[in-house]
Amino acid sequence: MRVTKGAKFIAGSALLMLAVAACGGGESPSTPGGGGTTTAQPVRVEIAEPQHELVPGNTAETSGAEVLNALFIGLVNYDADKKPVNQIAETITSDDQVNWTIKLKDGYKFHDGTPVDAQSFVDSWNYTANGANAYEGNYFMGSIVGYDEMNPVDPDGEGPQEAPAATATSLSGLKVVDNLTFTVALKNPFSGFPTMLGYTAFYPMPKAAFGPDGKVTEAYGKSPVGNGPFKMAKPWERGKDQSISVVRYDEFKEGQAKLDAVDFMIYTDLATAYRDLQAGNLDIMDQLPAEAIGSAKAEFGDRYIEQPSSGVGYIGFPIKTGADYAKSADIRKAISMAIDRKTITETVFSGTRVPADDFISPVVSGYRQGACGEACTYDPVKAKELFDSAGGAKMGAIELGYNADGGHKEWIEAVANNLRTNLGAEVTPKPVEKFATILDDLGAKKWKGAFRMAWIMDYPSPENYLKPIFAAKASSNYSGFDDKAFEEHIKAGDSAKTLEEGIAAYQAADDILLKELPYIPVYFYQTNGAFSQNVKNVKIDPFERIELFNVERA
Amino acid sequence: MGRYVVRRLLQAIPVLLGTTFLIFAIVYALPGDPLQALAGDRRVDPVFAQTMREMFHLNEPLLVRYWYYVRDIFSGDFGMTFRGLPVSTIFEGKFQVTLNLAMTALLIEAVVGIGLGLIAALRRGSWADTGVLAFTLLLVSIPTLVSGFVLQLVLGVQLKLSTGIDFFPVAGLRDGWRSYLVPGIVLAGTSIAYLTRLTRTSLMETLRADYVRTAIAKGMPRRRVLGRHALRNSLIPLVTYLGADLGTLMGGAVITETIFNMDGIGRQLFQSVYLRENSVVVGIVTVLVLVYILANLIVDLLYAVLDPRIRYE
Repeated sequence: MRVTKGAKFIAGSALLMLAVAACGGGESPSTPGGGGTTTAQPVRVEIAEPQHELVPGNTAETSGAEVLNALFIGLVNYDADKKPVNQIAETITSDDQVNWTIKLKDGYKFHDGTPVDAQSFVDSWNYTANGANAYEGNYFMGSIVGYDEMNPVDPDGEGPQEAPAATATSLSGLKVVDNLTFTVALKNPFSGFPTMLGYTAFYPMPKAAFGPDGKVTEAYGKSPVGNGPFKMAKPWERGKDQSISVVRYDEFKEGQAKLDAVDFMIYTDLATAYRDLQAGNLDIMDQLPAEAIGSAKAEFGDRYIEQPSSGVGYIGFPIKTGADYAKSADIRKAISMAIDRKTITETVFSGTRVPADDFISPVVSGYRQGACGEACTYDPVKAKELFDSAGGAKMGAIELGYNADGGHKEWIEAVANNLRTNLGAEVTPKPVEKFATILDDLGAKKWKGAFRMAWIMDYPSPENYLKPIFAAKASSNYSGFDDKAFEEHIKAGDSAKTLEEGIAAYQAADDILLKELPYIPVYFYQTNGAFSQNVKNVKIDPFERIELFNVERA
Repeated sequence: MGRYVVRRLLQAIPVLLGTTFLIFAIVYALPGDPLQALAGDRRVDPVFAQTMREMFHLNEPLLVRYWYYVRDIFSGDFGMTFRGLPVSTIFEGKFQVTLNLAMTALLIEAVVGIGLGLIAALRRGSWADTGVLAFTLLLVSIPTLVSGFVLQLVLGVQLKLSTGIDFFPVAGLRDGWRSYLVPGIVLAGTSIAYLTRLTRTSLMETLRADYVRTAIAKGMPRRRVLGRHALRNSLIPLVTYLGADLGTLMGGAVITETIFNMDGIGRQLFQSVYLRENSVVVGIVTVLVLVYILANLIVDLLYAVLDPRIRYE
């Protein structure tokens, strides 16, 4: 091949340029007007990529929930005190806290015009509860009668035996009484049941969601028909589309939202999104990168949001099967008192956490400031006395296990240093690859030392911070805590006549934990957000969802 | 020539099988449970775990799973993610973005790198030469992560806030070709430095060659001597480097795309490793290996174009 190669080579690079130029044409020509804010621009909200199609029952992460919160409303909403207030529900009543009757308000409609009726809730919940659908929100239905029949447990875990086939495809505990009334039978009394009902998993779904085979259709997942103040502007192709567009639903029963259109922009890196926010290419972030928090307050002023979020970080102990120091309540208290929570939250976490002083998070009613008292107050002298009198020095090195993949090294090291300095104890931080390793070892009673632990609520009830973690048979009880009086108080709280009565009982249970300290509460998570000059009246609810209905253009 | 290409392509098959198996084994050998990644810090629901394990053959031995994977790949099926999305859907459009980015970077790299190298070689020992060398040293010593964030902050945020010039987008792909400019520069950074130095050395060597002296001696115009004799002969190592660099750039897009929130395979790879979406990771790397093999083949073929002495039979 002997052509004038020079020419060929140039032809080659011209091709390169074509390829580069072609890419420019493919994108939508939505060039923002130079700096000026055009009112036609939708309000832009940062999210990460939702992990599933936008179906309420299959959404258990915050990004998908953020979008669904614009498209759907639930039976209840939450007021400033984090208490449930009826939204679609007219009344939610029960005589025995087991059998609940839910009456709906008339007049709510799905975006396709069909009414929001009792059946739409029952259909949605049944579908989510069905183990065969493998929905993320499945476990939320676990307290309803009939759940076990739909989710048979494999008798030998991962062994050769197959799980028995499900014997039901709908929850026997759900019954439609009439168009606007349905009843729910729970497995156990639970006075806090109404607090659960505002969560994403409990949204209703219209008839249109289900195909002829009874499955939620693919089209519905891409373009969910909801009952909220916004509706989908166009279908969202997960994995491909980098934004989700919603527009105002004009016939919304509670009036029109103030914004006409919202775009949820997908970012993988918070720091990048934050730059876009600074440059005015993004309007609302309900989460900020840790490194920006120091300067964000000054930069955004009253457009900066800081409020507690539902997460709690602990140091936990296998109190029945662990090492000597893990078994001793006095040592655990000494360790707790030796941790300088204030410094750790301010320096290691640069203010994205606040010191914990209760097992119950400040985002739910029932939290008592300073409930932990002396045990959570930094007092190195007393801690050392207690540690020594309980014989801590002879109990060997204290192990602090954590998963290395979650950014926990720094604060665990800080705690270790606290313990070394203040207690004179030998401390070995013990990183493991994955959190599951710790959980599995704890489950097999092989883990002897202390470990990091965290909990994020499923629904805003104090019960959610107590029973699932510390009840003797609870699924997430890793400490082995088993206390009769605690169970009694929880039971009393669950079957209390009102939410308030229930709270008092839960607090009594909380007091027992604070005395025994199977876990040491170390910090509460915080929500840090900021918004641009284009919007105002931005509020974030206890589930870390932006209350988009009330957001206005500035 | 045709037979050579076919032979090379056939050779690629065992290479592809070997690499994918390695990657497959590495990804699946990572400790921890991908299903746990789905659940975060929460305990995985046993019913859910059971369903997923069966669906993804997670209980089968590695070789069996690899066999399933290869079998599906040959029928054009890259598998599903744990979050229920076909991997091919994820790929749609993403390779184009990364290819665009890599090409932009390659173009910037070629123009700036060869240009600077030329200047340095022709003015050997001058202040220009020293300046170029110092500049390349600077480029090599700044990690992509740093240059990315700094350029993003300076060009994307501060330029707009202080002067109102809204030319460089901070992130995303919403501004057409302008979206690729800054990321392209960032991605090309280190390679520019290498290419400059390579051009400089290679050209200086050729300039000392007998045939260049002959060409000058017979009174050929300097421009022609440089273009036709010197530069073209020193292009061979440069083309090798550029070709191999295409693969590197596509791989390097992991950081750049993440910083600039570009919806390409680099960012997807980062995210998928983080989320333990093994099928996506293996899929992307497989395609990257393919790109690498093809790029090298093209480079080899270009040799024949540049140097008539090289022929493929």
